[in-house]
Amino acid sequence: MGGVELLQFALAGLKNGAIYALVALGFTLVYAATGAINFAQGEFYMLGGMLSVWAYAGLGLPLPVAGLVGVALTAVVGGVFEFLAVRPRKDGDLLAIIIITVGGSMVLSSAARHLFGPLEKALPAFSGTGTVSIFGAVLEIQSLWILGLTTLAVLALWYLYNRTSLGRAMRACAVNRDAARLVGIDPRKIVTVSFVLAAALGALAGLAVTPLTQTAFDVGPSVGIKGFAAAILGGLGNPIAAVAGGIVLGMLESLSIAFISSTYKDAIALVVLLGVLFWRPQGIFGASRREKV
Amino acid sequence: MSRSLGTRMTRLIVSVCIVALTVPTFLIGCDGDRDTDGEAVRIGAVLSLTGSLAGLGEPARRAIEVEVERINDEGGVNGRPVEVLFEDDASDEARSVAAASRLIDQEGVVAIIGGSGTGQSMAMRQEIEPGEVPQVALAGGSVVTDEFSPWVFQTPWPNRVVVPFTLEHLQAEGIERLAIIAESGGYGKDGSDVTKALVDDFGIEIIAEEQFNRGDTDMTPQLTKIRAEAPDAVLMWAAGAEAATILKNNAAIGGASPMRFFGAPGNARLEFVEGAGEAAEGFVFAAGHILVPETYGVGTEAYEVATGFIDRYTERWGEGPDIFAGHAYDAIHIIVEALRRLPAEFTPADVRDEIEATSGFVSVGGTFTFSPTDHNGMTAEDLTMYIIEDGAWKPLEEVR
Amino acid sequence: MLGRPDIRLVVIVAVALVAVFALPMLTSERYLLRVFTFVGVNVIIITGMALLFGYAGQVSLGHAAFYGIGAYASAFAVINLGWPWPAGVALAIVLTAAGGFLLALPSLRLKGHYLAMATLGFGEIMKVAFVEARPVTGGPDGLSGIPYPAIGPFEFDTAGLAYWLVWGVAAVALLLAYNVVRSRAGRAMRALHGSELGATACGIDITGIKVRVFVISASLAGLAGALYAHVVGFVSPSTFSLHVSVLLVAMAVLGGTGSLAGPVIATVLLTLIPYSDAVIPGLSRSALETIQEWQEDIYGLTIIAVMLFVPGGIGSLIRRMAPGRGEAR
Repeated sequence: MGGVELLQFALAGLKNGAIYALVALGFTLVYAATGAINFAQGEFYMLGGMLSVWAYAGLGLPLPVAGLVGVALTAVVGGVFEFLAVRPRKDGDLLAIIIITVGGSMVLSSAARHLFGPLEKALPAFSGTGTVSIFGAVLEIQSLWILGLTTLAVLALWYLYNRTSLGRAMRACAVNRDAARLVGIDPRKIVTVSFVLAAALGALAGLAVTPLTQTAFDVGPSVGIKGFAAAILGGLGNPIAAVAGGIVLGMLESLSIAFISSTYKDAIALVVLLGVLFWRPQGIFGASRREKV
Repeated sequence: MSRSLGTRMTRLIVSVCIVALTVPTFLIGCDGDRDTDGEAVRIGAVLSLTGSLAGLGEPARRAIEVEVERINDEGGVNGRPVEVLFEDDASDEARSVAAASRLIDQEGVVAIIGGSGTGQSMAMRQEIEPGEVPQVALAGGSVVTDEFSPWVFQTPWPNRVVVPFTLEHLQAEGIERLAIIAESGGYGKDGSDVTKALVDDFGIEIIAEEQFNRGDTDMTPQLTKIRAEAPDAVLMWAAGAEAATILKNNAAIGGASPMRFFGAPGNARLEFVEGAGEAAEGFVFAAGHILVPETYGVGTEAYEVATGFIDRYTERWGEGPDIFAGHAYDAIHIIVEALRRLPAEFTPADVRDEIEATSGFVSVGGTFTFSPTDHNGMTAEDLTMYIIEDGAWKPLEEVR
Repeated sequence: MLGRPDIRLVVIVAVALVAVFALPMLTSERYLLRVFTFVGVNVIIITGMALLFGYAGQVSLGHAAFYGIGAYASAFAVINLGWPWPAGVALAIVLTAAGGFLLALPSLRLKGHYLAMATLGFGEIMKVAFVEARPVTGGPDGLSGIPYPAIGPFEFDTAGLAYWLVWGVAAVALLLAYNVVRSRAGRAMRALHGSELGATACGIDITGIKVRVFVISASLAGLAGALYAHVVGFVSPSTFSLHVSVLLVAMAVLGGTGSLAGPVIATVLLTLIPYSDAVIPGLSRSALETIQEWQEDIYGLTIIAVMLFVPGGIGSLIRRMAPGRGEAR
């Protein structure tokens, strides 16, 4: 296998990894605020693509505006879902919230089918279908968008966490809910904000990927699993770890195809993931987890 | 938790249950569909209207609705109206089994159309055979008619017909080194199995075989691996949205010289052509004449049948039928034609016998002739090679 | 917690048993029997899940895989090896118990979401195996022509007999689970759910119990698979997907912790939602089609509603109304 091909595999892994990373970031945000896994995260990815297509093809908006509309609407859906279905569960029981998001994911994907039908929908590439060549390997310009948006999202999150009072409140809340309440932070507000941001991140991923893959009401779960795996692989609760987990997972799949078999790529990636978990039960970059009682 | 809260919760649950029970009861009152004279001939349709196969089931339902309306407008079957009872299996095999038993036992259907997927169609067999009701499956898997059951028929073109037709074309194009990319599900497995079993007859060698899963977002690694083997062409077995992604990935890594791609009837979908855009230009695949009815020969009976269906469907639903709608058209008309040949008194077993006696029946998927050993009835005659040019499929013969 | 054996409890259980087992005598409708047979299969799986989740506090997102292993093992043994069906069932139980043991051991290191991910990963790996191990599983097209369950010359070849068989097994499984719950180990399991540290301090072998419960729940899923395969006569990988695993966990959580009846009721409720026409008599075709069109929404909303309005799960409702706990009446 030549160097160019190896680079091509790496680029493909990086691109898929960036997609997983964006979805994983959503998992991490909700986990930080609630301690729960949001099974509806994949549906936010689906909605981001679907609502953007609707705004673009249905409303006839220009593509950048349609994309913004898609992401914004999904963020609203995330907030409304939290307000209607998660917030009323006042004791914040982890498993209860997880199961509520399972129910939510069924409702969201079904709603998308009612609204947009069962068939896949296409969206044009943001800036043409061209490619760039990197030492002989090629990358679609749309993939550059995916990588760029992932980087942007990470920077924005970093800024939010470290430079804004809201972000500091979110971090405080993740460390200790009760203590945060004592210093005047409303944990309920933080949970809502986390769901809104998680939905926006998922939607951003869906929007960026749709020009390459199209989208349909049932694309959520498969990407959701990958995002969950990436978040766990990196270590829950840490945005940088989530991104790293996503990239590692994407690379693992791509290299499995390159050196072993495309038939078993998912199985191989999962075996490695299980191996990592049994070696480091908190994920690669996860800190020792506080015991939730 | 305090007892009073618990009591309130109990009350709430009870009231939810009451609402849940009364709403459907209310709906019973609004039912206007049922034929009251009891004369209607009942046909069941178990389709995947929700779940992962909803894209197959929905067009089938639409086609059946349009055609049943027309059949009844024209006086039904031997003076009796036809009623089709739809059951959604939600792309779940246990559900299709339950639906089939319900249709056979409770509704007394004389035949069952469906399922949409191969697994669902196969699972229903345990009900179909003891129930002695004929089934006309809309699923394309070879196994549906290869694992022969006297009660089961199938309308889509099976791969034992599609693959030799396609390989003959590849051979004529001088392709000797072929690569395969296939989805991991039944459609891809079936396609690549039949292809691998037959390539030797056409002097073709399989030099690479790669797989992907439904829902994968990028197939560049598989294509990079295939490309390293420098095949003459790639045969793609992908019926879903991934087909478009594959062609786009191929166009990206191929630059000025992308690999040549060939496909199968599963690619005869407008969503695929639209989704792949420029990357689909020059893509060649085999499918039935329905895509371009002119290939039947303008003015022939088949041409009139196909254009008539396309017009009715388009008028009713605002968009043209796809091949899944076509398979459903075939199924309902094969059953109705069999019913027309029967006397006033008949059993589902008689319907089966008459379906098996179908001969030279011109439908949209092709001309159906069943026999006690062939319950699909399609031949290479029913297929045409298409090429995608300027964002639309055209008969290859016309273009070349 | 289950109440002390009490005459009222015995009466309720007896009435429920009679009602369940009398169904095939009251109706000859195969559809109804089919639907309730599927309910029975799910009840067998949920019995194990209730022990695993409700008593040992562990969550598995991989139990559909055990369900599948059981189904394929028994079908393969009967079709390809020519074994009698009970031997096929035994193979299903042995294989899933071994699988559960192998998965439980390393999983002991994992907690919460990491355990969930490990079991999810196991389930997804097994799904690839079901698709690719075609000589055994028939691949994505599935395995058809699986004979009816048979003990010796006696075949369970009608819908009524299959129903009795499945519910008979379900009743035995529930009885078994009830005894486990009431045993010393069962009390230890409840302690485990409350506090592992405390349980250890009391000298309870947490590791041993966790592994045993995992093995029991895995083999119950395998047993259910061996029943499902032969009752339906066809299996394919799509029946054993992650979606099914997730719904099983949802049923267990809706049922509530520390209860067997709760998860069973939740399972009956959720399994029946898509088949509501079987239980609501006289439903018109158009109403039925409307329900089918909206079933995912109804299912999802039901899950959410129970979690919001019955915080302790259905089990807590029963406890509040349970006989033998006078103050709750």
